Amino acid sequence: MSLYDGRAQRHANLHELSIAQSIVDTVLSEVQEKGAKRVTEISVDVGQLMQLDRKALAFALRLLMTGPALKGARVHVHVSKASFSCRKCGSAWGMAEVQKQLAEVPDTLRVREPDSKELPLHFLPFLYPAFIRCPRCGSSDIFSKEGEEIQFRRVVME
Amino acid sequence: MTRSNEGNPISTGAAKEKLERIANVILVGSGKGGVGKSTVASGLALSLSHEGQRTALLDIDIHGASVPEYLDVAPPVRSSEKGLEPKMKDDLKVMSLGLFTGSLPVPMRGGGKQELITQLFALTNWGELDCLVVDLPPSMGDELLSALSLFSGKATLVLVTTPSPGAVSVVSRLRRLAETEKVPVHGIVVNMAYVLAGKTKTFPFGRPDRKLLEAKFKSTVIAEIPLEPLVSTRGLDALLKESNDFSRAFRKLAECIGH
Repeated sequence: MSLYDGRAQRHANLHELSIAQSIVDTVLSEVQEKGAKRVTEISVDVGQLMQLDRKALAFALRLLMTGPALKGARVHVHVSKASFSCRKCGSAWGMAEVQKQLAEVPDTLRVREPDSKELPLHFLPFLYPAFIRCPRCGSSDIFSKEGEEIQFRRVVME
Repeated sequence: MTRSNEGNPISTGAAKEKLERIANVILVGSGKGGVGKSTVASGLALSLSHEGQRTALLDIDIHGASVPEYLDVAPPVRSSEKGLEPKMKDDLKVMSLGLFTGSLPVPMRGGGKQELITQLFALTNWGELDCLVVDLPPSMGDELLSALSLFSGKATLVLVTTPSPGAVSVVSRLRRLAETEKVPVHGIVVNMAYVLAGKTKTFPFGRPDRKLLEAKFKSTVIAEIPLEPLVSTRGLDALLKESNDFSRAFRKLAECIGH
C-alpha cells in the first residue's frame, strides 16, 4: 500500500507517515544486513518534545509493514517524557511547564501542513533552545535530558 | 539499532536515501568568520542554477543563519507528503535553519547539533539534484564535522578566504583538516579580492598573491571575487543577473564547479 494514499492520510499527519516510512526503511535495511527472515516486534520510543501523535504513528507503521519480512510484527510506540534542566539555576522541569512558551511561538515560524500549523519542534526537536527558556530564572542556557527524539527500544528478528 | 557515533539510525538512514538522488555536494567553508562564505555559497548556488543545473542551497549555520536574508526568502516553511518543502529563488531550492527560527537566538551547545543537521537534510524534499551547495558555519566544531560525516564520499570542499594574511592563516587549518578527513578540495575562492572604482582596482585586504596561496593551500585559485558594496542595496540575485565583474567572477566559478 502506498504511504500517501487516502486511508493513511485520514488517520495520520504527514510527518507521522514520513517517520513511519523511515522506521520501516531502517528496519528493512537491518533485516537485509543481518540476513534475518522476519521481524516479530518493533518497539520505538518517541520523544514527547516532538509532539507526535502516538496512535497515528502506530497506525502508519502497521499500514506500511506489508512485506513478508514485516507483516504481522507487533508494534509498540512509547512516548518518552521530555525533561529539561537549567545550567544557570539548576532547576528541572517537564513539558507541562513550557506549554505557555510554546504557545507563544510566532505564527510565521509554524510549519504549514495541509490541515494544520505545526511547531518547528515537531520536525526539528533539537531546535528547542530557540523556543524554551528556564521557567524559573528565564535563562536560555538549558539542556534536555531526554525525550527529544525517536529511538528504537527493541527490534526482534528471527 | 542504538545510536552510534554516526547518529540516530532512523534519521541517518533517511539522509542516506536523500543523498542517493544528489549527484554532487559542494561544501563552502573557511573555518573562519567574516570572509563571506554565505555570499560565496549563495552566489555559487544561484549561478549554478542560472546555468541550468538542478541546484539547492543548504545553510547549516545554527547560530547565525544568514542565507534567508541574502536570498530574500522567509518563513513559514511548508510541509507536503514529500517532506519539508525548500523555498524557491527562481529555480534554486533553498533550505536554512533560519527559516524555522526567524530572528530568535539559538543558544545551543554541542550535543544535538549533529542530529539537528541530519534531520534538516533528511526531512527536506530535495528531489533529484545535480548539485547541493552547503554553506558551512565558521569554526571547526560540531556543524562542520557533522557535514563532513553526513556527506562523506560525495562532498568536495571549496575554501573561501580573503587576501588578508590573518584569514589565509586560519583557512589553511581547514585545508589541513580536509587532508586528514580525506575530503577532496575543489579549489580556493579569494573573496573581497579587490574593489572596482570605475576602471581602477584597489585592494583593501592586500593584493592576492595567487602563487603563494596555491602553494600554501596545495590547491588552485578558482575565482577572485570583487568586494561589491551594491550587494546590500541591490541584492545578490539582481547583481548576478547583470553583466559586471562580480557576476563574471561567479559565472566562472560556477563553470569550474559544474563541469
